[in-house]
Amino acid sequence: MRVRNFAAALLVALVLISCGGAKQADVIKVGWFGALTGDQAVWGNNEYNTVKMLFEEINAAGGVKVGDKTYTLEAVGYDNKGDAQEAVNVVRRLTSQDKVVAILGPNASGNAIPIAPILEGAKVPDIATVATNPKVTVLDGKVKPYNFRVCFIDPYQGAVAAGFAYDVLKARKAAILYDVSDDYSQGLRQFFVENFKKYGGEIVADESFKSGDVDFRPQLSKIKAQNPDIIFMPYFFKEVALSANQARELGMTQVLMGGDGWPSDQLISMGAAAVEGSYFVNHLDYDDPDVADYKARYFKKYGIQTELNGYLVHDAVLMLVDALKRAGEPTGEAIAKALETTNIKGITGTIKISAQTHNPEGKDAAIIKIVGGKYVFQQKYAAK
Amino acid sequence: MAQFLQQMVNGLSIGSVYALMAVGYSLVYSVMNFSNFAHGGVIMFGAYFGFFGITLLKLPFPAAFVLAFVGTAILAVLIERIAYKPLRERKAPFLYFIISAMGASIFLENIIIATIGPTFRTYPDVFGRSSIALGPVAVGRLDLIMFAVSAVCLTGLVLFVEKTRMGRAIQASAYNMKAAALMGVNTDRVVMIVFAIGGMLAGIAGVFFGMKYTVYPQIGNITTKSFVAAVFGGLGSLPGAVLGSILLGIIETLVAGYLSSQFRDLIAFVILIGVLVFRPTGIMGKTTEDKA
Amino acid sequence: MSSYIEGIIMLSGINLIAVLGLSLLTGFAGLFSFGHAGFMAIGAYSAAICTTILKLPFAVGIAAGGATAAGASWLIGRATLKLKGDYFCIATLGFGEAIRLILDNFQGLGGARGWPGIPPSTTIWNILILDVIGVALLANLVRSRHGRNMIAVREEELAAQVAGIDVFKYKMLALVVSAAYAGVAGSLLAHYMTFIQPKMFSMVKSTELTIIVIFGGLGSISGSVLGAVVLTFLPELLRAVDKWRLVVYGLAVIGIMIGRPRGLMGGFELTPASLRRHFADRKEAKAAKAAQVAEDAELGKDGL
Repeated sequence: MRVRNFAAALLVALVLISCGGAKQADVIKVGWFGALTGDQAVWGNNEYNTVKMLFEEINAAGGVKVGDKTYTLEAVGYDNKGDAQEAVNVVRRLTSQDKVVAILGPNASGNAIPIAPILEGAKVPDIATVATNPKVTVLDGKVKPYNFRVCFIDPYQGAVAAGFAYDVLKARKAAILYDVSDDYSQGLRQFFVENFKKYGGEIVADESFKSGDVDFRPQLSKIKAQNPDIIFMPYFFKEVALSANQARELGMTQVLMGGDGWPSDQLISMGAAAVEGSYFVNHLDYDDPDVADYKARYFKKYGIQTELNGYLVHDAVLMLVDALKRAGEPTGEAIAKALETTNIKGITGTIKISAQTHNPEGKDAAIIKIVGGKYVFQQKYAAK
Repeated sequence: MAQFLQQMVNGLSIGSVYALMAVGYSLVYSVMNFSNFAHGGVIMFGAYFGFFGITLLKLPFPAAFVLAFVGTAILAVLIERIAYKPLRERKAPFLYFIISAMGASIFLENIIIATIGPTFRTYPDVFGRSSIALGPVAVGRLDLIMFAVSAVCLTGLVLFVEKTRMGRAIQASAYNMKAAALMGVNTDRVVMIVFAIGGMLAGIAGVFFGMKYTVYPQIGNITTKSFVAAVFGGLGSLPGAVLGSILLGIIETLVAGYLSSQFRDLIAFVILIGVLVFRPTGIMGKTTEDKA
Repeated sequence: MSSYIEGIIMLSGINLIAVLGLSLLTGFAGLFSFGHAGFMAIGAYSAAICTTILKLPFAVGIAAGGATAAGASWLIGRATLKLKGDYFCIATLGFGEAIRLILDNFQGLGGARGWPGIPPSTTIWNILILDVIGVALLANLVRSRHGRNMIAVREEELAAQVAGIDVFKYKMLALVVSAAYAGVAGSLLAHYMTFIQPKMFSMVKSTELTIIVIFGGLGSISGSVLGAVVLTFLPELLRAVDKWRLVVYGLAVIGIMIGRPRGLMGGFELTPASLRRHFADRKEAKAAKAAQVAEDAELGKDGL
């Protein structure tokens, strides 16, 4: 009895999973995935909300013309909890059940890397949002045909941060605090160290913590004893705010510096005075007139401020729509081909995809300083 | 030397955070003989209760504080009634309690994410962020207040357990639940009281934790550290939980400060195993005699 | 069959191998591990070293994955198996986190950034073959004298010791075998994902495996099989309700513990013989169930 019940349940399960693949003629399905739950959920929800909002707007404006037919866009989004294994499941589902023609996201490099073989098998392109690890699009010197991204990459970001610290801030002794169990943090740390040393600077302290840690005073006390000129903090805003607060509590007055994990309204509310005067490398200037419109629309629709991911997924959508228009037909292969020749102006800058790396080329980084609780754009900075 | 003193202060402060969490957990263990993994979830709720008490209900801090620990006491008792009582009545093995507790912990974390969202929230500044400088050593204002409140709570708890009738009933149940029941102790009530106290301590820990480290759905995860601390000190022993926590805090700090912050948890783990090899029930653990 | 369903079947097959091992440890020997993802990680990285760096065949990689995980478990068992109950739990928890930390720091194998480019050697067929071998080996083990001794250790450690059973030896046997299974599962996972990252082998993964064993039923191999399949599919079904699915999951875990604490198959083993009996005489089955309930209470009296 028991056994039969479960057999039946399993059968129902299989049927449930298999249906829902019916395809409507004039709708183009676009997949999105990322973390809607788990500790990355803030960014995931922001991305998915942006995608849904933009698709609604595009559809309201009449849809997208591909070839000589006009289609509306439908977003199919799934949560992968920020987990690599679930990323694989989700992409398999998007490509084989939902029959999406392209996928947007994820934000984490560790989730974008393992999906490559599935994308290749299904011939569906993916545009990653803030996955900055070089290996997302290029592995062993070979470009992955269906992986694209809309952001700059870690070696570039690390070089910008190191160059700005050495050249503009005139720092000669840098200390680093990083998250040893986070791929993003380890990557950015490595490229900062390499570049800062190349410039002739000295790394006086290289300390780490583990994801989930909330107290950084032991590491900070050690850094304090080395008396560096700046402290580089390549991790996300929550830990940035906590470690900045704790550093000030310990009486440390150094300039803090970071990367694109920093920007968030919550950094200001959590970090307050502690992050005042700090610098970070960003994908865009928040006060750029180009981004104001999106920012306002998002706030109007959802009642909260957008995070950094929203801007990048916004441009990923622009990239996709542009590629769809040029593709001639709404198939993954045609879109991937069109994506290779992308050259558009997004809100985060000009996006010119290189066919050799599938990265946007020559995207300048913006240096932002926190002044009076506001993100104040300093300058565009291109690494040498 | 200045660095060493500062590191000792850091270690004490981190250790006292662990202690506040470990005591509630260890108290429940002493009576129920299982690791209540839902404790972290209750702590998280405490942080949220306090936060919304101040921001939404506009309560003054002491009122929000009371709201938080009363709320978590009720929550902890509710969890016990729903997730553990049926198991208790069936005399299920400890494994089932642990699984049920893990289920509760998954539920608590995700109900927050699903309803009020995964956003980080910052407590309004109640005590001021500046620190007090004692020579070259900086001591956080919040750390001092937390230290004082923890000391009062723990003393209160010890007095309650040692001096009151209910406290003696708890001790008796901790020693042997079955025998206590035979001696006329209402063990069901004892369990309820124990969970209520455990919940209160979780609420207090939650509010301080939230003030110190902000509020978000995953803050319960940090309790794994306090579980380790409780094991270190000896499960079921309240002084053991405090001692284990302080030691773990100091060990972690010194390892990160002088050996390697990259391998901090690895070294802490090796030390933990080392202690357990020589003292299999922790530093002050109650000896679990085999109940044949 | 769509690649999605194929993928889920493969994953449930991989999970199954890890669950079988854990089933031996928890269901038969009564030990609770929070560090099994650590053994999977050891297996995954060892296998990847064999196939990707040393260019050895996949079979060698799988064998190496199982062997290194077993070796590591022997070492850790020496230090911790004398610990009781929750002390052992916390020690395994620490072990799992320690393995992760070592891998995070070890840049030679990619560190926290992970290791891409592992050959996609895992196929649905080699998973199924290993599943069958895994079930057969385990079934033979638990039915042997060793298996009965393990159950004796689980039921009544002191009594078992008095009866002359070397408790430590049987706990060690269960731990080493279960770690070897976890190592094999890790090797398969690495070559299924083609990418491994220390993050994949977190405590959450260990917890998931344990929950599957409990769902399936302690001390039942067929329960573990069923549990692994059902619980790998379940989150996929619940995907439609995205952020509520973990809420439901948590409630379901509590529900099972309260409603059907011995899991789906608790104590009941699905074999040709048992099926024949089952259909031949329902009444007898009912009587057996009643006996099982009695046994349940008996077992529960003093804890595992």
